Amino acid sequence: MGKGLTTRRMVVAGVLGAISILLGITRLGYIPVPTPAGNATIMHVPAVIGGIIEGPVVGLIIGLIFGVSSFLNASIPLFKDPLVSIVPRLFIGVVAFLVYIGLKRFNKYVAIGAAGFFGSLTNTVFVLAVAVARGYFTLPVALGVAIANGLPEAIVSVIVTLAVVAPWKKIGASRKKKSKIS
Amino acid sequence: MAAEPIIDVQHLEHTYMKGTPFVHQALTGVSITVYSGECVAIIGHTGSGKSTLVQHFNGLILPQKGKVIVDGADLSDKKTDMKGLRQKVGLVFQDPESQIFESLVGDEIAYGPFKMGWPIKDVRDAVKGAMEMAGLPFDAMKDRPTAALSGGQKRKVALAGVLALKPKILVLDEPTAGLDPRSGMELLGRLKTLNEQEHLTIVFISHHLEEVAYLADRIYVLDHGKNIGEGSPATLFSNKKMLEKYRIGTPETVDILYRLQDAGFSVNVAHYGIAEVASQICSILEHGPRRDRYDTV
Amino acid sequence: MTRFEWSRKITIGHYIPIDSIIHRLDSSCKLLGFTVLIVAIAFCNSYFGNVLFFTFALFLFVLSRLPIRYGLSGIKPAIPFMVILAVLQLLFYGGGVTASGTVYIHYSFLLITSDSVRLVVVSAMRFVEIILVSSVLTLSTPETELMHGMERLLKPLKYIRFPVHQFSLIIMIAVRFVPTFAMEMEKLMKAQASRGAAFGTGRWWQIIRRTKDMFPLMIPLFRSAMARADDLVLAMECRCFVPGQSRTTYRRGKARSRDFSFLLIIIGFSLFALFYPFPG
Ligand SMILES: Nc1ncnc2c1ncn2[C@@H]1O[C@H](COP(=O)(O)OP(=O)(O)O)[C@@H](O)[C@H]1O
Ligand SMILES: [Mg+2]
Repeated sequence: MGKGLTTRRMVVAGVLGAISILLGITRLGYIPVPTPAGNATIMHVPAVIGGIIEGPVVGLIIGLIFGVSSFLNASIPLFKDPLVSIVPRLFIGVVAFLVYIGLKRFNKYVAIGAAGFFGSLTNTVFVLAVAVARGYFTLPVALGVAIANGLPEAIVSVIVTLAVVAPWKKIGASRKKKSKIS
Repeated sequence: MAAEPIIDVQHLEHTYMKGTPFVHQALTGVSITVYSGECVAIIGHTGSGKSTLVQHFNGLILPQKGKVIVDGADLSDKKTDMKGLRQKVGLVFQDPESQIFESLVGDEIAYGPFKMGWPIKDVRDAVKGAMEMAGLPFDAMKDRPTAALSGGQKRKVALAGVLALKPKILVLDEPTAGLDPRSGMELLGRLKTLNEQEHLTIVFISHHLEEVAYLADRIYVLDHGKNIGEGSPATLFSNKKMLEKYRIGTPETVDILYRLQDAGFSVNVAHYGIAEVASQICSILEHGPRRDRYDTV
Repeated sequence: MTRFEWSRKITIGHYIPIDSIIHRLDSSCKLLGFTVLIVAIAFCNSYFGNVLFFTFALFLFVLSRLPIRYGLSGIKPAIPFMVILAVLQLLFYGGGVTASGTVYIHYSFLLITSDSVRLVVVSAMRFVEIILVSSVLTLSTPETELMHGMERLLKPLKYIRFPVHQFSLIIMIAVRFVPTFAMEMEKLMKAQASRGAAFGTGRWWQIIRRTKDMFPLMIPLFRSAMARADDLVLAMECRCFVPGQSRTTYRRGKARSRDFSFLLIIIGFSLFALFYPFPG
């Protein structure tokens, strides 16, 4: 990855940032789950994708956009705290990038999926860690939320990331070679 | 023409964004009737309300004012079964390839049938039939990755995805827009076959009068949210006053005929098929009164 | 009205155009001041400090002449969550590692101490204060003003080689594209509904189904975003856009002494409420 904000990186960061904002203000990015953290969200997926395809800086900026918009749109106490809603998001795209770079030598397809998974996990773990440190949740509650929210989030993240990034990186189809109707 | 109306729209009005400063009345009173087995074209300027109108046919937009009756079901009635309606009326949006999300062609086309909860065998048959109708060989294409298809193939996949629901009525919003001319022609041919051999009722929106002339039994002209003209291509294209008033273009062949007429030759504008025009021009060249006004021709 | 018609109604900002001292503040001073205030509130753990911040937040609302119901409307839907949170904190936090202070109740696993009560009260108050303060900011400033304010605020960072222009441009692209993608999304929802998708009909416990329902929307949405990015890059490069090259900007007002005094007051107040060693 070269250095600096090229035109392409700026545009990708902006466009994916827009999706993150859109998913937040329309609530389309929420999967309601019954936990005190409210909804599982897929608003972090743009940061994951940005991190993989354009590097850590782009991932970080999209994370920041996601963080600020989730802070401004927050309707529950947990996320009306900038330390919970902004700071942890900065790491999503960076982690996704690192995982992708680390694994792509072995298998690009797996690397993308893993980046989607760990990017999502970064969001879940960091948010909950700050939430515990700030006294919103105790550890057992946080673990419950991690499973109820984090799991669907990670699944969506892996599948959407793969579906978007793999064709974009011109990586041949999935290992799935037969359609369901075969 | 079969005499039984399958879509009946009466005095339909639709206002977008009611109660906001951006309120905009897109339909101001449309009445159209489509008979079973027909192929109807809807033409009109951008913004005349064509897309808004056809989205009423499968209940994506419900009538605010006026009546929409589709295959006997009144869409104003809250009890109308929307899922059934969407199965019966297949709506193909503009640029439908942008809605593809599965990684394999077969799965993409099977999405609708699976959503309908059909058993797997029926799904398979429906997908197979739809692919054949859309011009995609089933065995060769069903396990292809969607990402690697050409633009024309993607559109066929999208069309097959709608046909797989076995609709009675097929509605298409600008079906050839953005396709290369050859894929466009091929698609039109397939639609013609669907209409003539599978007896599918077809309603399509188009800007290309050539394709309207080729495909449609009847045309509705929309302007500012109203239907302002109706008729067979032949009667409509020979109504020069209306064409001019609403600045509707004409197929090139009709254009040629009008210019011949203006130049004083006697031609029949209602016979605007390419072969017919060619023979009219030939007969002018052979017997026609030659004039010294080539400059206008 | 149907549930598909929403894309053109969405708004990013919630600006209410009335006139007040707060509305007239220079946007970069306003942005900086409110950011300091929000961060200070987030770190404030004392009863006294929070009472001060709460009073100050109300005072800002009054100054801005915005109807208070706009502030309250952000709080009402959160009440159930606040209650659940308070109960969780009360029940379980007493035994947490950080807990100390006077023990009020100790009954088997239930341990309520002065610290856990403080935690409950303080987090609820902080939430209300931040809602009020951030609503004053977003209700009194149009989003374009916010962006300009941000750009001017970041300008000094140029000297530490922070890419201010690029950063501002990214934010501008993001905000500009939200309505575009909203329409795209509406079209996608309609298109998928036309082939049998039924969004939002799954029950709340059908998490897998609701998760799967997202794919037909999210995958095409992201794809189209990437395609649009490609187009935009091409368009910008054809117009010889050079990232980071300084552009001509037109100045929108200049911060005046009034704006600076506002900023000083807010910073001073925040530091005081945050660090003054109140008793208790
Ligand atoms: N979802 C919408 N919200 C608000 N206005 C709309 C929406 N869709 C279309 N319009 C407006 O309604 C009018 C008719 O649009 P449309 O039916 O798409 O026309 P056509 O398909 O003939 O070009 C246009 O002025 C358009 O801007
Ligand atoms: Mg249209």
